[in-house]
Amino acid sequence: MGAYIVRRLLQSIIVVIGVTLVSFLALQAGGDPTYLFVSERASAEEIEATRIALGFDRPLHEQYLSFVADLTRGDFGQSLSYRQPAMEIVLEALPATIELTFFAMLLALLLAIPLGVLAAINRGTAWDGSITTVSMLGQSIPSFWMGIMMILFFGLYIRLFPISGHVPFLTPLIAGDFGTAFSNLPRTIYHLVLPGIAVGTYSLARNTRLVRSSLLEVLEQDYVRTARSKGIPELRVLVSHALRNAWLPVVTIIGLEFGFLLGGVVVVETVFSYPGIGRLLFAAINQRDIPLVQAGVILLASIFILLNLLVDLIYVRLDPRVKLAGGRG
Amino acid sequence: MKSHGSLIRTIAAGCLCAVLLIGCVEQSDDTIVVGLSADITTFEPGMISSRDNSNIARHIFSSLFALGPEGEHIPELAHTLDVTEDGTGYIYTLNEGLTCHDGESLTAEDVAYTFNRIADPVNRFTGNAPGFVFTSIGFQNAEALDELRVQINIERKNPIAFGLITEINVHCKDSYEQMSLDEAATSPIGSGPYKLASWTRGSEVVLEKVREPANFERIVWRIIPEASTRTAELIAGNADIITNVVPEQVDAINESGRAEVQIVSGTRRMYLGYNLSEEHAALPGGDAIQDPDVRRALQYAVDVSTICLQLLGVECERATGLVNIQNANPDLTPYSYDPELAERLLDEAGWPRDDEGTRFAIRMQAGQGRYVNDVNVVLAIAQYLEDVGLDIELELMEWASVYTPLLRERSMGPLFFLGTGGGLWSPIYDMTDIAQVGSGTNYTHWSDPRWFDRWPDLVNTDDQDEQRAIINEMLEVFYDDGPWLHMYFQPDFYGVSNRIQWTARRDEYIEVFEATLR
Amino acid sequence: MTEVQINAEAPQSGNGFRAEMRRARRVMIAARWPVFAVLFLLVAAIAATLGGLLAPFDPNRQNLMLRLADPMSVGPDGGLFLLGSDALGRDVFSRLLYGARVSLTVGFAAIAVGGSIGITAGLLSGYFGGWLDDAIMRLGDIQLAFPFILLAIMFLVVLGSGVWNLILVLGIGQWVTYARIVRADTLSLREKEFVEAARAMGDSTLSIIFRTILPNILAPLTVIASFNVASVILSEAALSFLGLGVPPDVPTWGSMLAESRDTLVANKWWLAIFPGLAIMLTVLSFNILGDWLRDFLDPRLRERT
Repeated sequence: MGAYIVRRLLQSIIVVIGVTLVSFLALQAGGDPTYLFVSERASAEEIEATRIALGFDRPLHEQYLSFVADLTRGDFGQSLSYRQPAMEIVLEALPATIELTFFAMLLALLLAIPLGVLAAINRGTAWDGSITTVSMLGQSIPSFWMGIMMILFFGLYIRLFPISGHVPFLTPLIAGDFGTAFSNLPRTIYHLVLPGIAVGTYSLARNTRLVRSSLLEVLEQDYVRTARSKGIPELRVLVSHALRNAWLPVVTIIGLEFGFLLGGVVVVETVFSYPGIGRLLFAAINQRDIPLVQAGVILLASIFILLNLLVDLIYVRLDPRVKLAGGRG
Repeated sequence: MKSHGSLIRTIAAGCLCAVLLIGCVEQSDDTIVVGLSADITTFEPGMISSRDNSNIARHIFSSLFALGPEGEHIPELAHTLDVTEDGTGYIYTLNEGLTCHDGESLTAEDVAYTFNRIADPVNRFTGNAPGFVFTSIGFQNAEALDELRVQINIERKNPIAFGLITEINVHCKDSYEQMSLDEAATSPIGSGPYKLASWTRGSEVVLEKVREPANFERIVWRIIPEASTRTAELIAGNADIITNVVPEQVDAINESGRAEVQIVSGTRRMYLGYNLSEEHAALPGGDAIQDPDVRRALQYAVDVSTICLQLLGVECERATGLVNIQNANPDLTPYSYDPELAERLLDEAGWPRDDEGTRFAIRMQAGQGRYVNDVNVVLAIAQYLEDVGLDIELELMEWASVYTPLLRERSMGPLFFLGTGGGLWSPIYDMTDIAQVGSGTNYTHWSDPRWFDRWPDLVNTDDQDEQRAIINEMLEVFYDDGPWLHMYFQPDFYGVSNRIQWTARRDEYIEVFEATLR
Repeated sequence: MTEVQINAEAPQSGNGFRAEMRRARRVMIAARWPVFAVLFLLVAAIAATLGGLLAPFDPNRQNLMLRLADPMSVGPDGGLFLLGSDALGRDVFSRLLYGARVSLTVGFAAIAVGGSIGITAGLLSGYFGGWLDDAIMRLGDIQLAFPFILLAIMFLVVLGSGVWNLILVLGIGQWVTYARIVRADTLSLREKEFVEAARAMGDSTLSIIFRTILPNILAPLTVIASFNVASVILSEAALSFLGLGVPPDVPTWGSMLAESRDTLVANKWWLAIFPGLAIMLTVLSFNILGDWLRDFLDPRLRERT
């Protein structure tokens, strides 16, 4: 087990390095980025001076290597547009995205489990049919379309929820300011409802169907039939035997879900003008703010990799039948 | 099952409570909320470059003099300006008793420090102040003559230096000497009526009043890049002023009964430029546009008024050149829309239609998402040109990383769409874009001696009448044979809530000092 | 998504194919929904191929005087704006038809690109194992390590937008899924008797890979492909929405949705509802199809039909 962890960690580090290399190359491939950092009417000397000041005159491999050297010292460079430490800016925007992703995930899970169970138990009936159909629809709606529709509906027609803005909860919480954090919480949730639904719909739909099919599979198993034949009431059969085994794939999904949702968050953050990492990165990429993109991408990749690692380990703990050899798949 | 059901009910109840409790928190009598479309990046005076950024900074920092809504030169921190005989020394006399936000008194020494700090190569500032203002005026240095008088020295006589100097944000010396560049970017200590209370990047900036002139205690600047969200917030009452209202949303706002749209004829010159460089003359169509007769013919081919009316929803101010109408040559009238005349002129210029009906093919380039409805405007222009026989190869590109570099190198074209900011305070300021053949803003590489040979005369004369005559002469050349297809001055659309009384300016400056509750 | 079992005991050959097709038709009609899905997709395909003939107007023809016209209002030359006109006075219905072409082409092309790369990679990885396997899988890990949309945005901002770049990027985003499944199936098939037999008969390695193993792993890939087309269409819509899709004079459903943002507040609902519906129904159809295919190919259900 220990060796497995070490090996996975090493793998993860290699993957992260690969990620930084790819993002560095991708952004350099478009030409000289100097022009983005001089004002519209700068002279040729200004441009040249800026190019040297920002280090764009050095050969590519030198630029990358110095970046990696800095990384190992914890220095992610200065954002070129903000002139502030890049990782600081990224970390500032992260809590908002985590709040959104977490909220969406919570929504997706809390509703998916009862809905999926309901559908599985009542398999073949109208309940099952309608839940499955709505889930199918949910997986087919573009998230930004849903966002726009919700802004229209809830923002203009029925003014129930706010359509933009963000009230921080995690940031004061982490800073130890529990008073502010918890007094903010209702307003935080209030601002999260619409974007959260937009982000979470796809997952909710998919998870519902997953819970349903996992449960169906499990309900067919022998030991469930055995329990049933022993005369144990249906509900207990369900809860104690079936659910315990059906939730393994769900655990896997939770970990991967977070990463998946992080990705879907970019479009929704744009539509709702939500100040999270997705919107930040999109703007940074457009402005060729290389250090900021690097910091953001590395952070997101690390979170994702960490989650995958955790999920793998939990999976191994929960289901000893799974071998540890080789990679996944 | 039951447990899940009641859980859902609890959450719903919680939300409802939240709604009832906080439904009315957003609006407040002492706060004004402005919705901006672009994020700001810094409060370091030497690094500010975007208009939105300057607008916020304007409330934190004051300047020596300011420009009023009609271009008037208004005293602010200083009350008098004297210029030396040779025109290279600008002497400002400050008001007494000025202070910065930390209590430090603001004297001539601080002003000199402000200017010199921006120009200091050690700081490597790349904002509007060092990059545009200082290079345009030929800044040399600044020195304090005594407690209240500071002298700004420039390279040579310059008729528009006084206006450009108004863009410099003034602060105190001691506080900035002790700050690192990082701190200066996030924790400004200014000289204006408001101080920075908080800045949540990408979300909002909150300013608090420290002195007059200011009517509201707090200004909240919210960053809402998405246009429909911005409008929705205005209508919902969560924003008092919003910028960049999309023309299609004007009716919705006006009909909402809670806000209205102020459309002002802005100072930004929108034009279709002709790149007349040698390299571009070799491209398809590039040779055709070298001929001023062809350029003039195309002027009649585009129905600018309809573009404005249909795509911008308003009758915009037509341009006859590059100078804002109130300062332009009064004898020139905008070109009319006359496609038959255009066709005839093109025939006469030696570009008849061939068997497929094409006169010549040519490429048109533009960035997208930068100006009001720019994509649609560009598409419409292309359509009009095609209707008179041009074969347009249209390239619409991402603004910041693809189009802007082309602008730098002045290599976009042969046809390109652009809007450059102008001003109301001097025709020469508007003309400065094309002060020299080789200047970075002469995107067209135009080189007509009838224009460029007159510049030294223009700059050196002190006689107002003579200046005006030279300007009119030059503008006539620009109108007849210039490198632009003259279009319009971009109208600016501001959404203003009925809760407040505020008048938008034409020069893209946003100042809420004088805004009040109705 | 639950794993799909392959009936790996008997190799599939040409004879069973027609019987399979007949069974497919029987099962699909019994299940009802997939029939609608297939019908809708056929309609979409017809729209895509014959769009040029069916469209009443040139999708790029602007009519500045007739902008934002309601559905069923009169267009230029007496024609009818069936679904209204957009901000430049272009006919929404015609653009929807042309958009079908682009969206579906991009969808299928991306799958073709991603599928080819993925299947090849998976076959090589599974068959040869060793360092090649490691390298390919690690490459896949790197790619999956961060959200696809960020990768897509980065590449499109750099390479510039355009149909081919879009297909490339979307395709590259797909290959890992195929590779992993193909690799797993190849691994399990590698030691089976019929493959041994082929080897004994002296077939070349390439022949073994492509002619013996490949046909037996195709079935589950159709399921994946179906779901992937759906997700590619959604991704294309998202990228167009962010302004990174095809250029503005090429209509796609995603870019039509993006263009509709500004006018929604003014209640021009038709600009958003129709392209949104088109996307949703197409994606839904592919999802239904994929679902049905998976059930159909599941051998445990086979006995019951």
